[in-house]
Amino acid sequence: MKKRTAVAASWLLWLWLAAVIVGAFEYAPLAAKFIGQSSRILFFHVPMAWAAFTAFITAGVYSVRYLFGGRSQGSPRDPRHDRAARAAIELGLLFGLLATVTGAVWSRIMWGAYWNWDPRQTSIVMALIFNGAYLALRDAVEDAEKRARLAAAYAALGLVVTPFFFFVVPRITFSLHPEPVINARGRVEMDPRMLQVLLASGAGFMALFFWLHDLRTRVLAVADRVLEAAAAGAPSASSARATGTSAPHLGEPRTGADPATASQRTSN
Amino acid sequence: MFAKEWRSEIRTRYALNTLALFAVNTLVVVSASLGPLGAAPGRSSETLPVLLWLILLFAAAAGLPRSFVHEEETQTATALRLAATPSALFCGKLAYALTLLAALEALVAPLFLAVMNLDVARPGLLIATLAAGGFGLAAGSTLVAAIIAQARGKGTLFAVLSFPVLLPLLLLAVELTRSAFAGGGPPGQGGQGGQGEAGVALMQLLLYDGAVTTAGLMLFPVVWNP
Repeated sequence: MKKRTAVAASWLLWLWLAAVIVGAFEYAPLAAKFIGQSSRILFFHVPMAWAAFTAFITAGVYSVRYLFGGRSQGSPRDPRHDRAARAAIELGLLFGLLATVTGAVWSRIMWGAYWNWDPRQTSIVMALIFNGAYLALRDAVEDAEKRARLAAAYAALGLVVTPFFFFVVPRITFSLHPEPVINARGRVEMDPRMLQVLLASGAGFMALFFWLHDLRTRVLAVADRVLEAAAAGAPSASSARATGTSAPHLGEPRTGADPATASQRTSN
Repeated sequence: MFAKEWRSEIRTRYALNTLALFAVNTLVVVSASLGPLGAAPGRSSETLPVLLWLILLFAAAAGLPRSFVHEEETQTATALRLAATPSALFCGKLAYALTLLAALEALVAPLFLAVMNLDVARPGLLIATLAAGGFGLAAGSTLVAAIIAQARGKGTLFAVLSFPVLLPLLLLAVELTRSAFAGGGPPGQGGQGGQGEAGVALMQLLLYDGAVTTAGLMLFPVVWNP
């Protein structure tokens, strides 16, 4: 029953997003002062940036919860929080990249250059680099518990540092930027129909993020269980691989690399 | 802890020599490629602060992670875990990094000014910026160093991880150094606007220092203890 509700909800989400696409091209009017059809990309670009931002906050919150929050049996920390943080970082990277690319395309049309260190461009690039660094750190640590601990500490540090971008970057770049560049973004008087589509799209992307986040967290949980089973039951790499292939529905390239990691862990 | 750190440092002189040599080398490269006249007049107070802080950042990245990596490599980390509480350890390492950076700044900043033919309009602000910036640099890199010491590929990883953490600091420090070189505001207006701006930036820099140090004190125990 629960599964059926989830399936229905995901179909509803797809319909909702399809309606947003139609609305963005057919229902919403073009914004004044925008070149050509370029304002339509904002219905996707802005929600993507929101989703990336939400992902960043989500990752930070789960990391702090991992470090200082709940406990599970046997272990001082709850690995579920770690998986949730990692899934959020990965999705944040995805949404952040999409937001950056769509933003750069729009910026080329409106401002004449793909890139000009607008305050928001600066902060999203920092978020991307941060997410990449987080994943690089994870790759560089072998032991699972240690990896989770260090990565969570790094994400928490990121959560402490990022507010400074919001205070510092606009103040500095404002003095470098000519007025009109900043003003081009300030669309305070928005057409109500544009606002409706934008908010609908924002809600859709937010739901999409949390849905994907749930999926990714569960995939990571299954992958961890496979690893654990391989480490506990099978001393050799070949049987670990057998365990890995017994879950073919995972469909994740990461699980292909798991037997190697599993054999390393058992040999330790 | 702080005393122990310096004793072992004086015995090997590894970090100190590397840092000083690295910083001076970079300075020479920068200065030589700019040519005998320095940067173009008029542009110099815009670009030179960036170069100064880049030299400091890379020198720090070359020397500072050493302090934790060394503990892991020689397997003295376990003894340290037993001997000292994490917060004492963090403060000790931080104080060590701080003095190291202060020494580095005391070496590099006058040299930089001399080589680049710079006049400092507000020396007090420059010193305050160097002090506060050095503190933030030390606090941020100490925590990141503790993180990467337990991972593989330490050197590169330090640069990758510390960059996003230290960037707000660098932006602020460069901005402050710029206004220290150039003096506040356009002449004739008493520099009031420039002074207010610099005051805000200095406040934010100190806030950053406080935030990163607090985060370090809170996060270090979980990074350090398995």
